Amino acid sequence: MSTTTINGRVESLPDDPDALLIDIVRDQLKLTGTKLVCGAGVCGACTVLVDGAPVASCLMPAHAAAGKAVTTVEAIGATGLHPVQKAFMAHDALQCGFCTPGFIVEATAFCDRWRATKGTAVPSREEIGAALSGHLCRCGAYDGIFRAVADACAGRFDGDNVTAPRIEARDKVTGAAKYTVDINHDGQLEGLILRSREAHARITALDLAPARALAGVTAVSLLGDDRIVRYVGEPIAAVAAKDRRTALAALAAIKLTSERLPAVVGLDAGRKDGAPVVFDKANRKRAGNVSEAAGGPAPWKQNIRGPTAVFSTRAKKARNWVDEARQANNRLLVEATFRTATQQHACLEPHAAVARFDGDRLTLHASTQQVFHLKEQIAKRYKLDHDKVRVIADHVGGGFGSKASLGVETIAAIELAREAKAPVRVAYDRQEELSVAGYRPAAELKVALLPSDKGGLKALSVTAHADTGAATNSTIAGLARLIYPAEAKDLSDFDVISNLPPGAAFRGPGGPPMAFAVEQAIDEAALRLKVDPIALRKKWDPDPNRQRLYDWASGLEIWRSRKPVQNGRYRRGIGMATGYWLYLWQPNVKVEVAVKGGRIVASTATQDIGTGTRSVLADTIARELDLEPSDIEVRIGDSSLPEGPGSGGSRVTASVMPPTLQAVRKLKAAILEQATRKPAPGSNAPWRELIARSPDIAVVETRGEDGKNTAPGIRSPLREVGLMGMVFGWMMRRFSNIAVGAGVPSSVQVIEVEVDTWLGHVRVLNVHTGIAVGKIAAPALARSQACGAVIQGLGYALYEARELDPTSGDVLTAGMEDYRIPGIADTPEIDVHFDEAGFDHVLGNSVGIGEASTVPTSAAVANAIHDAIGVRLTEIPIRPDRIVAALKGRDAA
Amino acid sequence: MSVAIAEALSAPEFRAAGTDLSERRRSGLSCGSIIDLTASPDTIGIAWSADGAARIGALTAIAAIASDARLAQAYPGIAAAAQGLATPQIRHMATLGGNLAQRSRCWYFRNPQIACLKKGGSDCPARSGNHLYHVAFDLGPCVAPHPSTMAMALLAYDAKIVTDRRSGLSITDLLGDGSNGAADNLLAPGERIERIELPAPLAGERALYKRAISRTHAEWPLVEVCVRAVIEGGVFREVHLTAGGIAPVPLRLAASAAALRGKPADASTIAHAAELATSGARPLTMTGYKLDLLTGLVRDLVERIAA
Repeated sequence: MSTTTINGRVESLPDDPDALLIDIVRDQLKLTGTKLVCGAGVCGACTVLVDGAPVASCLMPAHAAAGKAVTTVEAIGATGLHPVQKAFMAHDALQCGFCTPGFIVEATAFCDRWRATKGTAVPSREEIGAALSGHLCRCGAYDGIFRAVADACAGRFDGDNVTAPRIEARDKVTGAAKYTVDINHDGQLEGLILRSREAHARITALDLAPARALAGVTAVSLLGDDRIVRYVGEPIAAVAAKDRRTALAALAAIKLTSERLPAVVGLDAGRKDGAPVVFDKANRKRAGNVSEAAGGPAPWKQNIRGPTAVFSTRAKKARNWVDEARQANNRLLVEATFRTATQQHACLEPHAAVARFDGDRLTLHASTQQVFHLKEQIAKRYKLDHDKVRVIADHVGGGFGSKASLGVETIAAIELAREAKAPVRVAYDRQEELSVAGYRPAAELKVALLPSDKGGLKALSVTAHADTGAATNSTIAGLARLIYPAEAKDLSDFDVISNLPPGAAFRGPGGPPMAFAVEQAIDEAALRLKVDPIALRKKWDPDPNRQRLYDWASGLEIWRSRKPVQNGRYRRGIGMATGYWLYLWQPNVKVEVAVKGGRIVASTATQDIGTGTRSVLADTIARELDLEPSDIEVRIGDSSLPEGPGSGGSRVTASVMPPTLQAVRKLKAAILEQATRKPAPGSNAPWRELIARSPDIAVVETRGEDGKNTAPGIRSPLREVGLMGMVFGWMMRRFSNIAVGAGVPSSVQVIEVEVDTWLGHVRVLNVHTGIAVGKIAAPALARSQACGAVIQGLGYALYEARELDPTSGDVLTAGMEDYRIPGIADTPEIDVHFDEAGFDHVLGNSVGIGEASTVPTSAAVANAIHDAIGVRLTEIPIRPDRIVAALKGRDAA
Repeated sequence: MSVAIAEALSAPEFRAAGTDLSERRRSGLSCGSIIDLTASPDTIGIAWSADGAARIGALTAIAAIASDARLAQAYPGIAAAAQGLATPQIRHMATLGGNLAQRSRCWYFRNPQIACLKKGGSDCPARSGNHLYHVAFDLGPCVAPHPSTMAMALLAYDAKIVTDRRSGLSITDLLGDGSNGAADNLLAPGERIERIELPAPLAGERALYKRAISRTHAEWPLVEVCVRAVIEGGVFREVHLTAGGIAPVPLRLAASAAALRGKPADASTIAHAAELATSGARPLTMTGYKLDLLTGLVRDLVERIAA
């Protein structure tokens, strides 16, 4: 038996030739700072040092480490933080934190090498980008990472001082932060899921007995009562065993017979007459949901559900005017068909759940965006007392909308744990994560935009067909109602259902595809009307928040110095676009702020998926009490705390800030009332002294309604669109527990690109993102969110597309090398402008930033490319094949 | 799973660094026994002959090739290719022999649930399916491009391969002409690559390598090209042009090279030669764009080498 040295300790290596270094580190030694993500050496989350050099431990055979010294993230900074760790903390170079240990290991090695040979010279962005090219971050923390690595190399973090705008940053840069996949109970079993190989089939026999006959194996069926599977990858059964290898053998032992049914795959085939029907009437309730809220009723014929057209206004007029303009060859009529690709959430922490029963009490660790609501869903489904179910999510490695429901990973873990009478972990592998864990549906959008003779907006028509797979409830076209008022709008949404995995909500569901189409049509109208695109928006879009952003954007030097279309190989262009999202908040949210043992403790059953919720709470309370955020203990990620909001619909900040502020105010009064001794006159920290001496006091406050007095032009966007809007708003509140507030969170972006016309490559040079979401609660973290939103938007615009086998629907981009998310070197300079007005009617004046900030990016990129090469790209992602095809005037691949 | 597929997946395999194999073991694409290769002085490191020719051991790490100053001087195309592939962590572990003998990156091949020619199946699902990243020179039944960047660069240098059984193999001897869709190379079962021998560099030769990708780094090439040239008095005396990412094997761009050899190194000659890079191309329905990229890449590199 050979040995290796890991973090200074000699460890024995197994004889198994298939054992990999990551297995030793994570499973044998429980050093869970090292993360398994892609399993293919693409993402770098598993990076460790072997004899000082970074390697991908997910690929390195364990025996290859024999006689060598392995260093994991846990050992870096164990005796004092490395300058790179301090720099990551100070620059907030992290969000969810799941990729962070890998980045830290690589960056410390780079920094140490750099310092040894180059002293405190500052590495360029290109040098940092190349050195970290083997790492991926889905939150898009690259902007902070650039600054952190540069500053650490320059020696700016050699001192002892450690600051961090994100209060849990230290746990994330040292690998101490525990995620669901890191949970390891005694006797815990590993669960795996048997999935359909057929796109559409009836399971005629499912025999779990051969699997159960294996020692220590538990198996449960996941089939619905109709026994039909509707996509490749649909769950059929689940097994649990002592390790993955045994569980794989158990999966292989299950006997399955099925009767193949005719299948249909994708947007075009699904719409054909006579296509096989995916959901017959009796089974329509089995379809998934691609939006953040429940949907209303809609016609549903065969595989087409729609039109949903409640947001139309004078639709017939709009159609007639467009027809007349077309017949009259009105050159101001802009008509085009746009296509957007399926975007995978690609969370670096996969969907995962660990279930444990202690008698009749269930403790579930889950990678979820909704600890509180998940608890309620589980209690209802399994008929358990609410106080006997506890959902815990200390840290969540990304969600983006895909972890906002009761998922199969949770169901399987619970049912296996109950059956096995042992804790069970179910964690998706990368192939599952990139195929069956949800996605933003691809869409086809037909747009017609007609300016009036007087230069106003006369008619807007948008018809959207969304490629929702085994799901429904896409709203894309409808979102065009809440911006650019027109004399008439014809807005129709259709779901095209087919034998593909169900889509899910994804950061601003429907927003980016709507913007990609409508914002390009607006841009085209500006060209035809020969007016500045920002000036046209200023005229057509009266929203006061965006009016201020338009003023900011039109004043940018880069916008004022735009150049005409260029020739030559490399061509630069500048484009802009607008986006918005609804201001949503969750009623009944409660926050407890308490003095406990002389400290302030804030508690609410929400969770931090990388957005910075802990810091929003800590910063808010610290400001009110003149304390440091690190003085505040924030308890979240636990459903046993007071009811908190789900992390979806950008609703957390606006849901927790008002009750937090109310609670702090009441707590202050209570502390003063009970204080036996007033602070010393002239004390610099009266509250610190009062709190330290205060008896334990707890105040719980519930999120109340917003104030009625709003600034001019700030109204509920749903009220503004009349009765249907009010009905829609009522339904959101009644069925989804989401309130739509007044005022519209908005974003305007100006983007410069350079197109290499020979190689079809688009380089984004710089991005200016102006954001109006009220007062910024935690500025450094809001900046991180704004940059991450841009980077995800760039991925959507330029790189990301799920690719399928056109017949079977097998997802071919099921690994991180084929599903292409942006890397650090693809990150442009990003200038973030916060306009902090517009939400004075909300206590705390803050609303959420996550979604509004990502909506306009793909459209701004496309408009910039048009500005550069004079050709409009109507399909994303704008890959090299599409650029060279557009330049040649032929269809792309 | 059919017998043929089970057999294809359960063949014994050599393991150098395992950067390709470990992933295939995890996904179930490799189920046979593993034979770990251990380095000997003959199979690791770079050695030089008196005439300035280099021999590179098969177990030499890609990073060692990428960072060797003498190699970069003598064979800049090989050094640049090594610098341009994969990621720093992979280059640190992966070996030259492993790069040559790695398996296809085709997304159908990599899916253990789908049969294909390289897994003992009877047809190529990519051909009738989704082949966005596949060949534009359709030379055989399998439409996956060969994944080895190093093979493409070594082809430009007329490198010879020495195995434990044979010597003097050209890259074409090693990888074939693309007509065998069942394999990624023509090594016999149990035969292993020991070293790569390079001819002495030509006096005054220069070389460049580049790949066309959608992002900035860390992506398999849509198209990649290596150009090696001797330019004297403004005239191309010697030109070697090879390309990867476009065919089941690395290709020599013979028509382009011929159009340059003996001609003045000017823009119109280069543009004409770049157009000839697609001679003999047979794109699939989805891969026509690769021909534009190939033309652009050849023009880019030849213009720069002539500058």
